Amino acid sequence: MEKKLSEMKYEEEGIVKKIRGDLKDRIAGMGIREGKEIKMMTKQPIKGPVVVAVDRANTSIGVGLADKITVEVGK
Amino acid sequence: MNKVLLMGQANVGKSVLFNHLAGAGATVSNYPGTTVDFDKGHMMLQGKKVDVIDVPGTFSLQPKDRAEEVAVKMLEKEKGATVVCVIDSSKVERGLYLALELIEKGHSVIIDLNMADVAENANIKVDTERLEDILGVPVVTTVAIRGEGLKELVSRMGEAMPAGIESITKRVGGKGGTSTHS
Repeated sequence: MEKKLSEMKYEEEGIVKKIRGDLKDRIAGMGIREGKEIKMMTKQPIKGPVVVAVDRANTSIGVGLADKITVEVGK
Repeated sequence: MNKVLLMGQANVGKSVLFNHLAGAGATVSNYPGTTVDFDKGHMMLQGKKVDVIDVPGTFSLQPKDRAEEVAVKMLEKEKGATVVCVIDSSKVERGLYLALELIEKGHSVIIDLNMADVAENANIKVDTERLEDILGVPVVTTVAIRGEGLKELVSRMGEAMPAGIESITKRVGGKGGTSTHS
């Protein structure tokens, strides 16, 4: 099932499926690329940032950005 | 070589390294983004005085905030400098993105896999020789807070040289550069 990264639940794991084109370069440096395994670590209430883990590294990204990333979860 | 730039992502130990190399009192904190401006000092390299610059942490060469802008501008200004790309040994893949960007831009790069102790604790082993073969630039391992590996880092700085991104791509058997598009 595909969903937005921002819709992932706490501790849910998935694979990055699609990142909006103009954002790819912006977050590639943080290790978030298509095909990467990703896990939701922390969600902040009221549209706060989300913390995700990619390759053992935690990265916090804005919820607006997380909205534009599609992940494949639960096989 | 007359200038050494320390570059890397936030919180990989650039400032610790800087303090060791330049013997200065740069602020080191355990949260990322501490160095927003840059610190400058100097060190002796083969009897010559060389400037060392502690560049703010940056994820990539496409700046997203002021600190990263400082980093990128500095890099553009110091075209002929030797760039030490500091990478957290426990998060190598993430750090290689910036390393490849630096190589792609034609800088003389030496890679410092710092925080080797953290990687060891996490049971992560990095084949530095293989990495060196693939990238075609020197790769050294350090634990900057304990001063380990710094001698090797300094002695190999002279080996830093531009490497062709195409030949790297060929060696890893992939296609295309680090940027998927622009």
